[in-house]
Amino acid sequence: MSLPLHLRSYREKSKDELSRDFFNAPSQSSLPGPSDPPSVVKLRERPYKNGQEELQGMDINAVISVEGKEEVYAGRLSLLPPFLCFISLDRKSCRCTIPLYTIRRVERLNSRAGVFALSLATWHGMRIILQLTSLLPTAEHFAILLRDALKSQLSAMKQLKPFLPSMYSEYLLSSPVSTAAGVQSTSDHLLLGTELGEKQTTTAVAHDGEGDLRGPGGEGKGIYQRGLGEHFGFPGDARKMRERSKMKLWREYFMIHGRNLTLLRYPPFQRLLQVGLPSRLRGELWEVMSGSVYLRFSNPETYGLLLSQNAGKQSQSTDEIEKDLNRSLPEYKAYQAEEGLARLRRVLVAYSFRNPELGYCQALNIVVAGLLIYMSEEQAFWLLEVLCDRILPGYYSPSMEGTLLDQRVFESLVHRCLPMIQEHFVSVDVQISVASLPWFLSLYINSMPLIFAFRIVDCVLAMGVKVLFQIGLAVLKINGEALLEVTDDGMFINLMRSYFATIGDSAHPDHPDPRVRAITNFQELLVVAFREFNVITDDTITAERRRLRAIISDEIEKFSKRAAVRNLKNIGRFNKEQIGIIYDHYFSAICSPEAGPSTYTGNALPGDQFDQPRIQVDAQGRVETRIDHRTFRVFLSQLATWAREETVTTNAFIQRTDRRVADHELIDRLFFAWDSQNQGTLSLQDVVLGLDRVMTAGLMESIEWFFELHDKDKDGYLTKDEVIQLSESLLFIFRNEPGDIYLAAVSKFILNAYDFGDATAPEGSVDEKVPINGDKETASGARERSNSSAGPHNLPYLNLATFRMVVLADELLENFFASDLTASFQLEQTGDEDYHQAHQRSEGLLGGLMNLVVTNENKNRLNRLADGFGAALGKHAEWRKPSLSKTSDQTISPSQSTDLRARESLLTPAQQAGQFQRQRSHSAVSTTSTKTVDSTETATPDEKRSLAQVEARYREESEMVKAAQEAVMHRPNFAIDAIGDSDDEGEPEGDDEGVMDEVEAFLKAHGADDEGLKGEQKKVANDLLTAEPMGKKKPTGDLVDL
Amino acid sequence: MSDETPVKAVQVKLVLLGEAAVGKSSLVLRFCQGDFNENTSPTIGAAFLTQKCRLENRIVKFEIWDTAGQERFHSLAPMYYRNAQAAVVVYDITKAASLEKAKAWVKELQRQANANIVIALVGNKLDLVSESSSTPATVTPAAQETETEGEDGEDDSAEESITPTPATESDDARQVPTAEAEAYAKESGLLFFEASAKTGHNVGEIFTEIAKTIPFDTITPEPATAQTGNRRSAGNHENNNVNLGEGQQAKKGGCC
Repeated sequence: MSLPLHLRSYREKSKDELSRDFFNAPSQSSLPGPSDPPSVVKLRERPYKNGQEELQGMDINAVISVEGKEEVYAGRLSLLPPFLCFISLDRKSCRCTIPLYTIRRVERLNSRAGVFALSLATWHGMRIILQLTSLLPTAEHFAILLRDALKSQLSAMKQLKPFLPSMYSEYLLSSPVSTAAGVQSTSDHLLLGTELGEKQTTTAVAHDGEGDLRGPGGEGKGIYQRGLGEHFGFPGDARKMRERSKMKLWREYFMIHGRNLTLLRYPPFQRLLQVGLPSRLRGELWEVMSGSVYLRFSNPETYGLLLSQNAGKQSQSTDEIEKDLNRSLPEYKAYQAEEGLARLRRVLVAYSFRNPELGYCQALNIVVAGLLIYMSEEQAFWLLEVLCDRILPGYYSPSMEGTLLDQRVFESLVHRCLPMIQEHFVSVDVQISVASLPWFLSLYINSMPLIFAFRIVDCVLAMGVKVLFQIGLAVLKINGEALLEVTDDGMFINLMRSYFATIGDSAHPDHPDPRVRAITNFQELLVVAFREFNVITDDTITAERRRLRAIISDEIEKFSKRAAVRNLKNIGRFNKEQIGIIYDHYFSAICSPEAGPSTYTGNALPGDQFDQPRIQVDAQGRVETRIDHRTFRVFLSQLATWAREETVTTNAFIQRTDRRVADHELIDRLFFAWDSQNQGTLSLQDVVLGLDRVMTAGLMESIEWFFELHDKDKDGYLTKDEVIQLSESLLFIFRNEPGDIYLAAVSKFILNAYDFGDATAPEGSVDEKVPINGDKETASGARERSNSSAGPHNLPYLNLATFRMVVLADELLENFFASDLTASFQLEQTGDEDYHQAHQRSEGLLGGLMNLVVTNENKNRLNRLADGFGAALGKHAEWRKPSLSKTSDQTISPSQSTDLRARESLLTPAQQAGQFQRQRSHSAVSTTSTKTVDSTETATPDEKRSLAQVEARYREESEMVKAAQEAVMHRPNFAIDAIGDSDDEGEPEGDDEGVMDEVEAFLKAHGADDEGLKGEQKKVANDLLTAEPMGKKKPTGDLVDL
Repeated sequence: MSDETPVKAVQVKLVLLGEAAVGKSSLVLRFCQGDFNENTSPTIGAAFLTQKCRLENRIVKFEIWDTAGQERFHSLAPMYYRNAQAAVVVYDITKAASLEKAKAWVKELQRQANANIVIALVGNKLDLVSESSSTPATVTPAAQETETEGEDGEDDSAEESITPTPATESDDARQVPTAEAEAYAKESGLLFFEASAKTGHNVGEIFTEIAKTIPFDTITPEPATAQTGNRRSAGNHENNNVNLGEGQQAKKGGCC
């Protein structure tokens, strides 16, 4: 049983992280720094570690243009070290992520006054002109940051040369131009050629037909990274897919717009993407578009090391991988051969060791099998990391929360975009997820023919997860009429299955126009997805995820709670509800900040709380959540009154109880006593059985377990030392009891114990009951005596019967063991029901601000402030809450408790609770100011009246806050509601044309005009292309010149 | 075949649960296609299959959800066992831990699923242990009877299933004694079988017995529209019968 602990440490991404995600730029911390020795495999993203200073990033308005290209785009330039990123204002025409290590030269251009322009030259000579259009000081500041960032990448530049040959595009471009010309002529010929049939011929065509693309050397000459397809053939008919034309177009695109690490996305990119990437370039473009190539660049040895360091190791993941190898795209030839399976195994195993808390999830086998057709193992490995971490976060994790969340998001989008289908499905009680879950989990690879699925993968890797949603919605919309006749799961599944089976068929088989007839179901699907559902943006997905995450998290927690409780082998004498409460405390203790620094710290990353020993793998290879003794202290403090320090503070405004975890040897003793298997950690089962023993014990049983707890060697005797320790334990439990009767009782207990003990001790007096090996005991006893001047403190001394006698001799102790001790363990609800939703309620625009303000620190500050006022008014009081409920009812600090009671008559308990809550959820500022005003008022003699005012004021204010929060809560709904209405507006110009008619798209790819900048700005940009660099005296000129 | 009047097919939603690699998919494949394949198609979430089965005077159409066995897919299982009338909980008789997992599934089903759900506990991989060592699983005469009655000659799988497994292998592999599992099944009110998807032994009986146990009076017959509803204009096969999406032609009237 492993618990979904990571859900509680989830945090929304910061703005910087979001923009890195958008540009596929990995964070600096995931890239090795200069201080990391290369032989160490860096763990997955960790918070930035000491030693390396994070380079500062910056955003600025800019205009971009490239030599050899007319278009000029205005947009936002972001320095996200070690990357320079640009996105045009329309967020789609132009976009790029350039690693600084590919920039060879940066110069400030000498141009007209007021224009701050930089010229960037990449290693292969591409020139990019950036006009920084912000104010001059801002631009200069940006240039300085850019210079620093560039300098930090000098060492990385050296790695560029050995790295580049791994890219197919370099090989492609290095082949002579004459070959390219040859391609052109043959491709024309091929277009007219007869249609060849099925796969057998396809692979042959792919092999020799494209031989000339590899240049004179033929296969094996280039050392670029290649997938299985190079040997086993790529899926699909190379001719039908017009591989040659695509290849030629990409080659031309690379000549102008950069390639691999320096690839710029200009409008033709989108078209080339949507007609499907050419097989041989696909792997490289996947890693470039997803940004996984940057990880591969920066961690050149990681993959190999992961494999060599873990060679031969077995784990639950490796077992599971082994079972699935043979059912990963078994129809593809390479996976019927050992070579393909070996590659698949190595990538999955390496990743399971790289990311042990994720390990292996079914469906990854399909995804990776797909990737490996086009990519090398190392390429696929890094792309897998990007998929699991960023593109599909939480999809494959042990609780699969990302999958569950996105299924819910998808359902919600269906509800908004296709309400009729949604309503029908509700009425016939069919869940859309039964069909859509595998679509998302396997990126459609398992749902439709490979050649089409990979085109969807192309788009997902280029544009992100929203594509999965857009395609899914389009599938439902296209099948809308048939879906409305579905009456059960089975029909739904069969309908979807037959749709995907015919997805390569003509969408209009009976249309007179052959051009229309040529449009396939798949093309229609893409058009619908990208035209009608282009309103589904990254922001839509983010907003919906944010709205639904808490609900999903609560559901997962409840689900695992039910499962955990159900799977307990022995629940002792507890009932189900009590077990549920124990589970809640167990869980909340693990998530508690006091349980250890690795859990739930502000910026904890998902993996952190899995630090040992909270997760253990049992003999059968199952993962189990267990708690260490530090967590156990927190756990026990929630249940046992004596295992916590409770300070009740009252002042003029409020009564609050502060709880702290107590620390005493007694608690550790319990921990080790309950650790039945001596593992150093406790499972939920251990805890339940331990509690069962102490909470249901009668007088004699209580005396017995308490005795055993202190009998370390389990010989049935306490030593003198242990008698002392036992008394200390008693004193610890009694520490907060008022009066000195308990102290007296314990003193009497020690005296009696020694009296009786001397009479019955096995050593010294002849006692028939000594059950131990006399010789050995005497020997060790003698040694002890000689070693220690303190006397025989470590010898068996007091047995259980004597101990019982001593206890029963004292009425107070008798009562304690008869009822108080048992009663000191209390199963109270944690109030963690719907934890995530309760915490989300304070989110939103205003709530988010409040969350920032109402940190624990501020709360404490507020409390201190209140205490200060209280003290000034003479109303401040603090007292320790006694542990034993019995005595707390009686006489404790009379003055204070009457004070307390007086207040209680003013505020009913419910109001008190409400007030406390409000204090927590208010922004500190407003509450403090209220309090300041109130405190002067409270100084008036009539305290009753002023308290009533405080109360009223709180209530008023809380209404306002509530209203504001409600308003905020509704906001995302508006944003989404718009989706249904906006079906008809703003179609992406040009894009769908490219999809509708691929041939036309190819022709257009050259001369299509896209919305760049016009007129003056364009002229400036063009001027800059010919401008001379400024002299070296200029501050930012000649940043890096190699 | 004996009954002449057209009988309505009664739909039964059945879900397969159990630890990973106990042979859930293989059992279904054997039942639906009479086939055994070492490399079954991958299960993501759940695979969906259908199979018709004639029982006395009615035709039962099983809609089978074959769920993924990996632990992390557990939280998705309710989606599939929701509204199920029958469940087959599978364990591997050569792996003691798999029975524990099966028991957990049974508990979950009894608490979370339909109140009237019929649950069958199936110990798979009987072919890995010798025949002599264990008493063959309970095959009631009635079940045999139904089977032989079963209509046309397409029941090669059933035929196969009657042939005894060769008792060549040693019994070392068995970790779950028949008696132990059977006692548990009886105590929990489950149907119990030991079967082999590889040889087909007892596979048909599982489904026949389930069909006989389900209280059909409470199940509404399949609506007539359902048969025509799932046709699409784009040339698509009839899929009111077995169709594994493996490109295999749908079989007619396959029966157990």
